[in-house]
Amino acid sequence: MGVLPGRVDLTDDQRDRNAAANRALAAELREQLARAALGGPERSRARHVARGKLLPRDRVDRLLDPGSPFLELAPLAAHGLYGGDAPGAGMIAGIGRVAGRECVVIANDATVKGGTYFPMTVKKHLRAQEVALHNRLPSIALVDSGGAFLPMQDEVFPDREHFGRIFYNQANLSKLGVAQISAVMGSCTAGGAYVPAMSDETVIVREQGTIFLGGPPLVKAATGEVVTAEELGGGDLHARVSGVTDHLADDDEDALRIVREIVATLGPRQPVPWETAKAAEPLYDPSELYGIVPPDPRTPYDVRSVIARIVDGSEFTEFKKEYGTTLVTGFAHLHGHPVGIVANNGILFAESAMKGAHFIELCDRRSIPLVFLQNISGFMVGHDYEAGGIAKHGAKMVTAVSCARVPKFTVVIGGSYGAGNYAMCGRAYSPRFLWMWPNARISVMGGEQAAAVLTTVGDTDAAAVRAQYETQGSPYYSTARLWDDGVIDPADTRRVLGLALAAAANAPLDDVGYGVFRM
Amino acid sequence: MFSTVLIANRGEIAVRILRTLRGLGVRGVAVHAPDDAAAPHVRLADAAVEIPSYLDGRAVIAAALATGAEAVHPGYGFLSENAAFARECAAAGLVFVGPPPEAIDAMGDKISAKETVAAAGVPVVPGRSGRGMSDAEVEAAALEVGLPVLLKPSAGGGGKGMRLVTDKGELAEAIASARREAGGAFGDDTLLVERFVAAPRHIEVQVFADAHGNVVHLGERECSLQRRHQKIIEEAPSPFLTPEGRAFLGNAAVEAARAIGYVGAGTVEFIMPGGAAGEGGYFMEMNTRLQVEHPVTELVTGLDLVELQLRVAAGEPLPFGQDAVALDGHAFEARVYAEDPARGFLPTGGKVLFLAEPSSARVDSGIVAGGEVGSRYDPMLAKVIVHGKDRAEALRALDSALASYTLLGVPTNVGFLRDLLARPEVRTGELDTGLVERVLPELTARETPAWVPAAAALARMRAVAPPGDGPWDAMDGWRIGAPAWSPHALVVDGSEHVEVRTRAAEVAVGAGDAWPAVLEDDALVLAGRRIPHRRVTGPDGTVWIGAEGRAWAVRERERTLRAGAAAAAGGVLRSPMPGTVLAVKVAEGDAVAEGQPVVVVEAMKMEHTVTAAVAGTVTSVPVRAGVQVALDEVLAEITPGEAG
Repeated sequence: MGVLPGRVDLTDDQRDRNAAANRALAAELREQLARAALGGPERSRARHVARGKLLPRDRVDRLLDPGSPFLELAPLAAHGLYGGDAPGAGMIAGIGRVAGRECVVIANDATVKGGTYFPMTVKKHLRAQEVALHNRLPSIALVDSGGAFLPMQDEVFPDREHFGRIFYNQANLSKLGVAQISAVMGSCTAGGAYVPAMSDETVIVREQGTIFLGGPPLVKAATGEVVTAEELGGGDLHARVSGVTDHLADDDEDALRIVREIVATLGPRQPVPWETAKAAEPLYDPSELYGIVPPDPRTPYDVRSVIARIVDGSEFTEFKKEYGTTLVTGFAHLHGHPVGIVANNGILFAESAMKGAHFIELCDRRSIPLVFLQNISGFMVGHDYEAGGIAKHGAKMVTAVSCARVPKFTVVIGGSYGAGNYAMCGRAYSPRFLWMWPNARISVMGGEQAAAVLTTVGDTDAAAVRAQYETQGSPYYSTARLWDDGVIDPADTRRVLGLALAAAANAPLDDVGYGVFRM
Repeated sequence: MFSTVLIANRGEIAVRILRTLRGLGVRGVAVHAPDDAAAPHVRLADAAVEIPSYLDGRAVIAAALATGAEAVHPGYGFLSENAAFARECAAAGLVFVGPPPEAIDAMGDKISAKETVAAAGVPVVPGRSGRGMSDAEVEAAALEVGLPVLLKPSAGGGGKGMRLVTDKGELAEAIASARREAGGAFGDDTLLVERFVAAPRHIEVQVFADAHGNVVHLGERECSLQRRHQKIIEEAPSPFLTPEGRAFLGNAAVEAARAIGYVGAGTVEFIMPGGAAGEGGYFMEMNTRLQVEHPVTELVTGLDLVELQLRVAAGEPLPFGQDAVALDGHAFEARVYAEDPARGFLPTGGKVLFLAEPSSARVDSGIVAGGEVGSRYDPMLAKVIVHGKDRAEALRALDSALASYTLLGVPTNVGFLRDLLARPEVRTGELDTGLVERVLPELTARETPAWVPAAAALARMRAVAPPGDGPWDAMDGWRIGAPAWSPHALVVDGSEHVEVRTRAAEVAVGAGDAWPAVLEDDALVLAGRRIPHRRVTGPDGTVWIGAEGRAWAVRERERTLRAGAAAAAGGVLRSPMPGTVLAVKVAEGDAVAEGQPVVVVEAMKMEHTVTAAVAGTVTSVPVRAGVQVALDEVLAEITPGEAG
């Protein structure tokens, strides 16, 4: 294996300007994360704690093994949506270690509109279930939710990927042997009642958790029966009478302890489906990325300087180095896991697309997970290129990306535009995870180009188009809508990828198989 | 000299006797109860025999005969003052290393002992007794004895009917009421009048007599530092006695020994009024055996009292006379007890997980690392004994020795001993037998330093560290945003609740600030300060931390381990000591009020009633009368709520 050089062709001044801009972006990210992590308004949190309940983030921290990392999914979901009323979409989701085992944790935040489901809450819950499915991770739901957010019922209730899908997924995950565990730590009303009911094993907190299809007001309206919430669906009723729950906990801490005990009883784990090696830190400090990466994605730079700060020992065995040079492909290890890296170093040409397709197939055959470092303004356009069949060469790469059965991980480290997004394993290509750097941009094309196209075809305000693309291309716009799994600090990239790879190693690999490659 | 001696004892004294035997080239045979087979005295002995009980004299004699022992050393306690056993030894042809049975008998009855020594001219507490004295005669007797006086019912005990009279004017009324109470309580209104000794000191004189009529004394020991008649710290010589006072007590002790034809080592105990000139003193009783605190006498006289006992028992004359006895410097002894000062000195117990005894002191110890300390025997584990050229130097040496005494796994009184040594009264030697009780609240109220739970939390993190080195094995609480703290709900010494948070190389205790912290094997570096300590994690996950002679047991709070809300609200009742359940006063489903007795546990002949800390309903009673329970074992669980 070759060791990548640490040297970067930048003046000190350029480096300082890059670092200042990127550090400012990272600081803004931390600020947004800290704000979202608080959850609902101060008053709601105080009321929550006064009832003897732990805040959802404390629940997660206490559920996890001491000191365990938590790879949170979409912590900025619903950012800027719903009038700012739903930080994190009222839910914490992610992967953490419980009783020595990586699990998907989903925790409702009752301080955010009673933990009710906004459209993005539903999307986040389904995404967390997808993570559990793809990586075969036991799922733990810490339930404290009033069910659907009624004012938006048309966007959360009826469709295929709406509320009902959660229970469909629970049944099918359970069928695959992906354990479904829930702890009812607050309300669990109406459709929400199915989360614990559909679980393999369920805990309820005495005099705190409630499960019922219709709450006391609805019961009174429907039948005239007057009944308290505790009588109707409290822990004692469900643990002793109905059998809807399996364990009666005294309080939040007790419930979390019982959940940990349940996880400890789960069956054996799958063997890691690829060969791992001893991990080594990169030779160069990942925080050097701040100075290296230009904040404007239009500024070209050598993506190998990013790879050198992510992979074990900065060692990288490059494939087809001299061919299709706008795409860098090669083998490395990341936290001991083998990876095939596919990274943009300019726009995609026919050669780079064919090289990419070839390399993806190699990795797939060799059971090596793929890491896409996406910084792509698109495929080359123009008569000669169309005539050269760039569409069919691009299609080869899209076919390879779509059909590869090894886990794929995408980090958008710059621009993500047009068909480049597809070939480089955008969200539609079901990478196991997809993250964005704070400097990333995402849209079907650049704002300038869109304005030009729209002005050509009709009467359009070019400035308005540019402004729209500016707003919608932001990584915060993306992450709010769960187009990704989160915006991450570039210096955390190695850690995030390492955690994701190790989590992905819990799922066995399918058989290799491809559609027709257009030749 | 004998060739084989059997030691009818256990613990530190058996070990200490074995050491002398070894020095003399005498074979030492141990006996042990069935549950004591792994005890240090058994391992150290040249031979060991199991007996049903240390009190089983017949079995001891059979063991001695079977192993060819010629003599039996009884140590202290157990059979040491049992005249019948001494006679049985003689009948079996064995030498009992102790006084003649007659001498034991003579001193065994406290009243006749007083009469005997008084007749020999030894001063006793002035007093009068006599059946049929009228009130006026009692009053006259009281004035003759001299105020203040104690009026005691002749038939009674336990302080009932006792009256302290300091003023002549109160005497008549006190006599009348004491008589009424005595008559009512005991059916006998006979009163006994005795001089009241205020702020008394306990000073005892070591005597030695041989079978050839030689009797010497080896100076005195001051034993005024006691709690409920249990001696804690002893010293020699007494800082209180004048040379004249010493000669007076010494002669009195020798006379007392002579009066009963004493042979061997004995101790004559005196009570002395405090604040007096360091002279006088009244005979209290004589202990016809080796005393626990004999080492302080050994350190100031340079003698081996066990060796002397053996020589005298073998018929040799004392190798020196009174004139040759010289006292050099000052000696202290501190007793290490398996007891918890913070819990009213209840006996503790458990497995000795770590033991480091001071190398700067003589330590007479009956424990080893890995050994069990149970509730069946005396809770004294070891004695730390030091010598200095004067009292101040010896005191410093004792404190420094205790500071380097580390025992983890079994709570002890060592920290309490150090606090006691630091008292100004102890420094100046102004002691009396009530001192410890008076200053107890100040000595037992001590805050746990914040570094202790900090170290325990970091040790727990270390203990639960995953074996691998993958990204998920990291323990730094990594998050996409700010890293998370790991919460630790800890309980120090079974009562003090502390919340600690740790995060990578940071720790925060309670609501305090976060400090940078690095845990090393034998120290915690907290905010730049290195705090050396010893630390060990017990099999139950309890982290034991010892430093400066103190030890703390830090465990995870119960609700995160076992029962939940009940524990949080104090509804789980635990055994305050290892022992036996005497009675269970409730049944499952019973409603109990706060403070209502639930279970009675007995250990060390002390009964402890465990009461409901909260009102509620008894949800579980996992114990029944007669079962053995460990320290902190769950006795009952109460779900808090309105009783009834």
